[in-house]
Amino acid sequence: MMKRLTVDELNLEAQPGAFAGTLMNSSADLVTRVRQGDSDAFRLIFERYSRPVISFIYDMVNDRALAEELTQETFVRAYRAIRTMRAETKLSTWLFGIARNVARESLRARARAGNHVDLADKSVMDLSDNKPVPVDGLLSKELNELIRRSLAALDEDKRLVFTLKVLHQCSYEEIAGITGFSLAKLKTDLHRARAEMRKKISPYAGVGYEV
Amino acid sequence: MKCEVCVERLEEYLDGEVPAEEQEQISAHLITCAGCSETFGALTAEQEIFARYERDVEVPAFLWTRIAQATVAANIGKEGGWRAYFFAKPLAGVIAILLVAIAAGVVYVMSRRPTPKEIVKQTDPTLPRYGTDLVQERANRDEEQPQVKPEEIVSVPRQQRRVRPAIKHTPRIDQSDVLSSDLGYLDIDDQDTAKHIEQTQNLLRSIRNVSVTDGDEDIDVSYDKALSRRLLNENIVLRRDAEMKAKFPTKTLLADVEPLLIDIANLPDRARPEDVRVIKERVQKTEIVAALMGYQDRDPINR
Repeated sequence: MMKRLTVDELNLEAQPGAFAGTLMNSSADLVTRVRQGDSDAFRLIFERYSRPVISFIYDMVNDRALAEELTQETFVRAYRAIRTMRAETKLSTWLFGIARNVARESLRARARAGNHVDLADKSVMDLSDNKPVPVDGLLSKELNELIRRSLAALDEDKRLVFTLKVLHQCSYEEIAGITGFSLAKLKTDLHRARAEMRKKISPYAGVGYEV
Repeated sequence: MKCEVCVERLEEYLDGEVPAEEQEQISAHLITCAGCSETFGALTAEQEIFARYERDVEVPAFLWTRIAQATVAANIGKEGGWRAYFFAKPLAGVIAILLVAIAAGVVYVMSRRPTPKEIVKQTDPTLPRYGTDLVQERANRDEEQPQVKPEEIVSVPRQQRRVRPAIKHTPRIDQSDVLSSDLGYLDIDDQDTAKHIEQTQNLLRSIRNVSVTDGDEDIDVSYDKALSRRLLNENIVLRRDAEMKAKFPTKTLLADVEPLLIDIANLPDRARPEDVRVIKERVQKTEIVAALMGYQDRDPINR
């Protein structure tokens, strides 16, 4: 049983996806409270994880409206299944696992429906020139867009591991828990995903090397 | 260690996924090998680019409402009856207060010596009205309050009560320990830095305020660790930007914060109390939270 910490009450405005109650409400405590019928606890879980979940789903489906819809589905499923969540499982891993399944089902449903799932617009980006874009401050709009399209062009498994590792800083262990992939497959897909992304962005980002 | 072996492991080394012993070997090799060091620098630069990637997606305000309707609200509806009534705590509390107020008013009125009724005309309706009409006025006002059903309360999005602050807002004067910010006049780089500073400040404050003694059970810091990792990536990018733009006070502040974020990010998910205490003491000793609070008080031109 984890120690329940007592800290001075932090006067934080709860914001969607914010860090409401850091160290005050551990994820395990929140799960226990939700199981006991505490709706405030579920609200806190939503506020803590909604932004990373919607970002992750967006990375997978590349459609904002669809990402919102699938995020809703993720949290509804999570609420209904929370009693089945194992005690040793991390809440973030479990939630991302649900999000991954929701996203995958959506992508496959679209493919089965005959809608060509072309997540990446393959038209060549019309850049005014091919000089590397200075990487200072924010990314240029063009480079940001290029990353989005390049990510969408990866196959599903590579996109999944790249998103979780590089964009969401999950550990290999967490990624294996979310995806069910073996460590070997995870590392291979990640390495190849990085190589593909590097190849696409290097002319515009001023990075060019082989690893 | 040979270069071929080192290069093969550099991605995992960057990800923090190599065993400690191998990590030392790679670190030692990078110090002495210019080629591998350059490759590692390129990998780091690539990581920084992805750290700045911004998605065109936000959590919409209506999302919680929809989720609540399908989850917590539906659950309450199923249970119904007295559970539904007691779930509407705000309504129950308001009714209780009104009943007490009415009872107190009746007792007060009954205890007074009867006097001729006088209706005092008031030019300011907010001033308290004295006289025997007070109880009736209160009762009338209560009847005018909209009767809110429990399910309506459940479906009211919390965002209406706890509003996400917009970029332009006045400082919250009743919260002296919260970073006050008026970001409206800042350029977009300063807005990003200010938001980052605020989030970092809140994380470090929670570390500083944690109550921990050696011998206690392990502490679950997985959430704070993940947050610190994200903030660390942002910090690296913002620090280098500040340096390039000669914003040296900002650069110094971000450089001071970085070792603390690294230490929090390197904690195991279940950390020993003594490890957390060490970081807590460093946060206290360096007074970094006060420094972060002071950031926003400076003249924006000189940041």
